Amino acid sequence: MMAKDHTLYQDLTCTQFFHQKSIFLLPKFPNSTMTIHTLLFVSLLIFSFIESSRGGNKDRLFTELQNLLEVTAKPVQDVIVLEAGKDMVTIKWKLKSSGKVDADATFKTIQVKLCYAPISQVDRPWRKTHNELFKDKTCPHEIVSKPYDKTPQSLDWTVDLDIPTGTYFVRAYGIDGDGQEVAYGQSSDEGRTKNLFSVQAISGGHVSLDIASILFSVFSVVSLLVFFVKEKKKAKLEQRE
Amino acid sequence: MGDPTGEPGSSMHGVTGREQSFAFSVASPIVHTDKTAKFDLPVDTEHKATVFKLFSFSKPHMRTFHLSWISFSTCFVSTFAAAPLVPIIRENLNLTKQDIGNAGVASVSGSIFSRLVMGAVCDLLGPRYGCAFLVMLSAPTVFSMSFVSGAAGFITVRFMIGFCLATFVSCQYWMSTMFNSQIIGLVNGTAAGWGNMGGGITQLLMPVVYEIIRRAGASAFTAWRIAFFVPGWLHIIMGILVLTLGQDLPDGNRAALEKAGEVAKDKFGKIMWYAVTNYRTWIFVLLYGYSMGVELSTDNVIAEYFFDRFHLKLHTAGLIAACFGMANFFARPAGGWASDFSAKYFGMRGRLWTLWIIQTAGGLFCVWLGRANTLVTAVVAMVLFSLGAQAACGATFAIVPFVSRRALGIISGLTGAGGNFGSGLTQLLFFSTNQFTTEEGLTWMGVMIVGCTLPVAFIHFPQWGSMFLPPSKDPVKSTEEHYYASEWTEQEKQKNMHQGSLRFAENAKSEGGRRVRSAATPPDSTPNNV
Repeated sequence: MMAKDHTLYQDLTCTQFFHQKSIFLLPKFPNSTMTIHTLLFVSLLIFSFIESSRGGNKDRLFTELQNLLEVTAKPVQDVIVLEAGKDMVTIKWKLKSSGKVDADATFKTIQVKLCYAPISQVDRPWRKTHNELFKDKTCPHEIVSKPYDKTPQSLDWTVDLDIPTGTYFVRAYGIDGDGQEVAYGQSSDEGRTKNLFSVQAISGGHVSLDIASILFSVFSVVSLLVFFVKEKKKAKLEQRE
Repeated sequence: MGDPTGEPGSSMHGVTGREQSFAFSVASPIVHTDKTAKFDLPVDTEHKATVFKLFSFSKPHMRTFHLSWISFSTCFVSTFAAAPLVPIIRENLNLTKQDIGNAGVASVSGSIFSRLVMGAVCDLLGPRYGCAFLVMLSAPTVFSMSFVSGAAGFITVRFMIGFCLATFVSCQYWMSTMFNSQIIGLVNGTAAGWGNMGGGITQLLMPVVYEIIRRAGASAFTAWRIAFFVPGWLHIIMGILVLTLGQDLPDGNRAALEKAGEVAKDKFGKIMWYAVTNYRTWIFVLLYGYSMGVELSTDNVIAEYFFDRFHLKLHTAGLIAACFGMANFFARPAGGWASDFSAKYFGMRGRLWTLWIIQTAGGLFCVWLGRANTLVTAVVAMVLFSLGAQAACGATFAIVPFVSRRALGIISGLTGAGGNFGSGLTQLLFFSTNQFTTEEGLTWMGVMIVGCTLPVAFIHFPQWGSMFLPPSKDPVKSTEEHYYASEWTEQEKQKNMHQGSLRFAENAKSEGGRRVRSAATPPDSTPNNV
């Protein structure tokens, strides 16, 4: 009985302590678990609000960019289909002579990317073209990104090992000091139907992999059967005894 | 062999999880403890454990539990192993959205059939060999991922791997040989929930393994193939562990299985008839398709969704997707608990309302997930959706044992198959075509969940009522005995074949709710023979 009263007294003093020391305008919760839960929930709401209101720069559109760069991309060897990891593409880019002389004044970096042609985007929504630049999935593979040089540039690029099978063109973005795209140029036309090249990906399979998987599969089946037969034999022996 | 009476469908006893959701031990005086037996856990006269000690590995009972749920979980890991790696696989194999969707459908379709066969396999070989056979014979299917070079191969291999989800049956069957029927509900419910967790573990495991292999120097398109060796090895390891450490029965291996001439006491055809003609069976088949089914569908699409929509790294998307499946750890048992809690005050009507509320809430959160435009809201919606769907699974099997006593096994099996069927259907409708983006698919899936949960209102028990209708006023029809005895013909009743049903009916009176419980039922009366 005494112990009960003692704990009750302790509870009361704890509550008073909390009320006295709390400088926040917190509602009076019966226990700390509810407080923690509410704090977590409120902070979650606040973060959601912050995230959703961070609209700002995300809405830059591709159609706002000017086509100021002239880009060409030609396979080094005259093959129909390039092999990933082996064949090379010569990529050249420079400022278009038809534009203003100092149109590239804002360029700080040039980013050259490998892009999917429309035929490789069919039935594949993860490669879809969106006008909003941050959403656009047309050009996921970066070829090179380097400081902008006003002189015409050329690069012999070996197709990476992880490039999937498909049809491609090359696009270069001129990027200003804030990391924003300001202009572009591409090796194909506006409808992205001309000057495309095809890539055949590596299979990813190796003979050693195939052998290993066969070995483990056989091991699995054989060890099961061995166990089964051994136990049956043992059971037969035991039955005879 | 879980039930000494050997009734067809008895292998599914205990699957349901309603029996004693609270119980960690059997308190009933009806169960006689065998004090002469030398086991770490107290056992009954059949040497089945009467206590469920979660963190023990004692031979044979708890060891069986852990071997069983881990091998079931391993099969979930390998069935859904491709899902978090789809962003890589789709580029290697040049897959279209249709191919990916079809592969997802294939991964859940195989087990509809294999689960039906597995019961017979367990009857024939025993659950230990049933589990080991399935796990070790499906290891080659996992390894054969390294040979896949196109969409057809991918779909075929995912279909073949999906067969191993039948370990669900061997898991539950094996447990029912080791644990007394009064606690089998909690044991099986925990095992099922923890097994389903494998669908979450794989979302984190596979991207991490893939990353490690990539860092070790392999190219992307080789690394994912090597990553599949990990689930393959898990199959082999678990198969060997089950064979060496497991045993069929508490007293040893197979001795009692040699009981020849054990005649089935009930006819399969009759049981099938009563299962199929009870309209409640089909409502539950539909319902489970929209709790377990959508869980499986989401396991297949969620990692890719977060990767594409929110531009995350592969392992970040995997981590988030893992949270979905891992919630099974407590969500499914919590659903069963919530059902039991509401039954205490409102009886069966409370259970039905609980199921409807939980599953509908899950559906609404799924709609929210589809409409979430920011990462944080999407994650919150996903977690809430997972809690709703998985708790609904638990709540479903809290009601299923009351639908029928005679045909319980088949109804449980049909309900389980309905889950896989629902998964295949939702993936086919919403995630395999260009008609919907994935976020639209999730939204419509949520709408479909809400719609397909409405039939709960039609489940009416004459003795207990339904969501909107009170129990029947008819003095004959409103008894539990009448409902459960109506599954037997007069001839069968004359042979006293329905005694088990009558005993069950007596114990099921607690589903009448608080006024019934306080009126007549003794406090520790519980169903002791399901």
